[in-house]
Amino acid sequence: MTSTLKGITLKGSAELVAEFFSFGINSILYQRGIYPPETFTRVTHYDMSLQLTTDPKLKSYLTNVVSQLKEWLFECTVQKLVLVITCLETNEVLERWQFDIECDKSAKESSAPREKSIKTIQDEIRSVIRQITATVTFLPLLETPCAFDLLVYTDKDLVIPEKWEESGPQIINQSEEVRLRSFTTSIHKVNSMVAYKRTDSA
Amino acid sequence: MDLEDDTTVLTTLKSFNSFISRPEHPQRLCPPLQLLEAAEKVHSINRYLQLDQEKKQMELSHKRARYELEKAASDSARDFEVDRNQELLGKIKKLEERETEAAKNLSDQMEENHALRKNMEGLSKKMEEQDSRLNTANQTIISLKDEIRELKQKIQNQDLTISAQALENQELQEQRDLQRRKYQDVSQLCQSLQAAQSSCSEHVIKIKELERRLAFQEQDISIMKTVKSEVARVPDLEKELKRLRDDNDFLRESRENCSLLKEEVEGLRKKLERMEKTKEELVNMELEKEKLQAWENLGQSTGLNIRKPEDLSREVIQIQQREIALKEQNYILNSRVRSVERSESELRTELSQQRNKTLEEQKKRETQDALVRRLQKRVLLLTKERDGMRAILESYDSELAPSEYSPQLSKRLREAEDILQKTQNHNAEMEVSSVNAPGHFCLSKVELELETLKQQQASTAESSSLVTKEEVNILREKIEDLEAERQRLEEQNNILEMRLERHNLQGDYDPVKTQVLHFKMNPTAVAKQQRRLCARCRMEEPRPIHKMTPACTSDVIKIKLLCFLQTSGCVADLRKQMESSELRNQRLKEVFQRKIQEFRTVCYVLTGYQIDVTTENQYRLTSVYAEHMNDSLLFKKGSSGSMQLMETEFSKTLGEMVALHLHHQKSIPAFLSAVTLDLFSRQTTV
Repeated sequence: MTSTLKGITLKGSAELVAEFFSFGINSILYQRGIYPPETFTRVTHYDMSLQLTTDPKLKSYLTNVVSQLKEWLFECTVQKLVLVITCLETNEVLERWQFDIECDKSAKESSAPREKSIKTIQDEIRSVIRQITATVTFLPLLETPCAFDLLVYTDKDLVIPEKWEESGPQIINQSEEVRLRSFTTSIHKVNSMVAYKRTDSA
Repeated sequence: MDLEDDTTVLTTLKSFNSFISRPEHPQRLCPPLQLLEAAEKVHSINRYLQLDQEKKQMELSHKRARYELEKAASDSARDFEVDRNQELLGKIKKLEERETEAAKNLSDQMEENHALRKNMEGLSKKMEEQDSRLNTANQTIISLKDEIRELKQKIQNQDLTISAQALENQELQEQRDLQRRKYQDVSQLCQSLQAAQSSCSEHVIKIKELERRLAFQEQDISIMKTVKSEVARVPDLEKELKRLRDDNDFLRESRENCSLLKEEVEGLRKKLERMEKTKEELVNMELEKEKLQAWENLGQSTGLNIRKPEDLSREVIQIQQREIALKEQNYILNSRVRSVERSESELRTELSQQRNKTLEEQKKRETQDALVRRLQKRVLLLTKERDGMRAILESYDSELAPSEYSPQLSKRLREAEDILQKTQNHNAEMEVSSVNAPGHFCLSKVELELETLKQQQASTAESSSLVTKEEVNILREKIEDLEAERQRLEEQNNILEMRLERHNLQGDYDPVKTQVLHFKMNPTAVAKQQRRLCARCRMEEPRPIHKMTPACTSDVIKIKLLCFLQTSGCVADLRKQMESSELRNQRLKEVFQRKIQEFRTVCYVLTGYQIDVTTENQYRLTSVYAEHMNDSLLFKKGSSGSMQLMETEFSKTLGEMVALHLHHQKSIPAFLSAVTLDLFSRQTTV
């Protein structure tokens, strides 16, 4: 954390948001059972206990994506981060966890820190993660083996880095959407929501 | 007997008939001359006949006699035979009885035989056991013999060793004797040595004592020498002693003097100190005196009531307090000055601001005044308009009064007022715009507009009431339509916004502004690749399995084919393949069944046992020669592949065979053949 307790800079904000994504993605993967629960370990962060993966492949993938995302957050070129859960048998998209990111591009010009304490931001983040955990109660059960992917919506003029490629939006056919809480670092505002495939029984 | 009688009667009858039939012929044929001859002849013939008859009678009697004889003979013979028969029957019965007895005996014998056989078997078993024991005993004997031999060898060896040891012993004894002798010598030597040693020690003690004495003597000698020298020094010492005593007395006196002198010195010193102190005090006193004089002078010079230093200090303190108070006042004043300066500067700024404001206000006021003037003009114009409108309306009212359409009138009035209001609003707007827009151009424009409006109003006022009504209605409708359209558009807008929101929620994006990126090696791609690989593996798998195990169940093939179908599209080909494989399976099943049946019958015929599988790992054997349907043997296959006989009703009756063949010989085939032989013999003997 480069930011002081009193204010927050663009860099600090990018780091905070990237950290939130790292924990949020881990939480979703654990809660939705995409990876077996024994591959997760318990850590304490944001004054709450969270699950972090120990799977080496997944870890390296997440660090790759999150570090790239941090760069983009710093450049204010990222618009959305989407976690897509796909059924492997039918290649059908079952869930979409969308995090809309609103960047205050004026923060790029003025390096003056914004007046918002990290504690309040972390409180907001905590409530978002709590809500993610709580969504398990209404989301339909994933009965088939599933895999996940992370899509990043960026500005069109961004140069695609190596190891990255363009993708489709992976929209769910006939979906139900639920808006979740949002949080803001006063530079980045993150609105979270989840869309899931409407089941016939529901 | 009766039969005999009948035959005689028959013969007589025959002869009589023949007799009757014969004589008639000559009587009819012969003439009377010849009658004599004929008579004679007849007579002779008669006689002949008589004779013949007699003869026949004789023969008959003979025959009878013979017959009787024969009969008697046969009777006797028959009687004899009957008797004999009876005898024979009795004999037969006896013989049968004997036979039955013999059969009983035989069966007994058989049983005995069985028993004996069993005994024999038992004995043979015992024999075998004894043989085995004997063998073991022989083996033990041999082993024991070997042991004995070994032991003998050992004994010999030991004898040898004993003799060797005895020899050694002798040698050792000899050596011992030698040693003993030596020992004696040595002990003697030892004794002598000990004696020598004791004498030696005595001598040593003596020597020591002597040495000690010598040392004592030497000491004594030295003492003596010193004593002698001291004795020689005694007179000198005495002299010295006297001298010293004198010195002592002198010194004692001098010491006493010295102490006295010291006391005196100390007393003097104390006196001196006291004197010095008094001197110092004196100086101080003088100084104080001077000070006091100065004070007195000060008191006189200053005119204050200072008699004592306390007064002065009080004064000083008072002055200091006054000074502090003055300083405080000074500070306060300074701060006040500063604050006043600050407030002054603030006020100055405020003043400048206020001035600016006042200037602005003045400007505003001027503009306002201008506005007010304009507005007043306008108000005047408007009032005039209003008056004109009212006059028009009154004129209308006066026109319409007879028809008494007051509600319509009031409505119209309201409409007209609304229009007025609108125009006024418009005016106000125009004024605002005129205020914002510089120059009088706008104003003039507004005024022009106003005039045009006025003209319009005037024209409208002048136009007939029907026209205005229609226009108003049309306008109202238009307004209503526009309102409706507006609402519709608003709703549409809302709907579109909602849709946009929904699309946004669903993850839609504007491809002009946004691009979607993802990491190439993401988990989904990896998982899909793995699945594709697996599917390919599965596609390649089924064929070799077909070849290797054609008898594998059709279900497995179906599952694999389904997997295959999912991945590829050539359905018909696969279906054909499936059908052919199923057909093949069917045929194989049939062939298997036939072959198995054949095999079972062959087994049954060749071994004499029908083998059935009751449950898993349990086999039931039923012999061809079984006396009952239920007589069967049960075998169970153990985990290590060994077969074990299970107890059944039938196997309970085969205790001996089980003991012999299974427990002793441990051969199931032997046991089975023994059972077969037993059952076979039972079937054939009964």
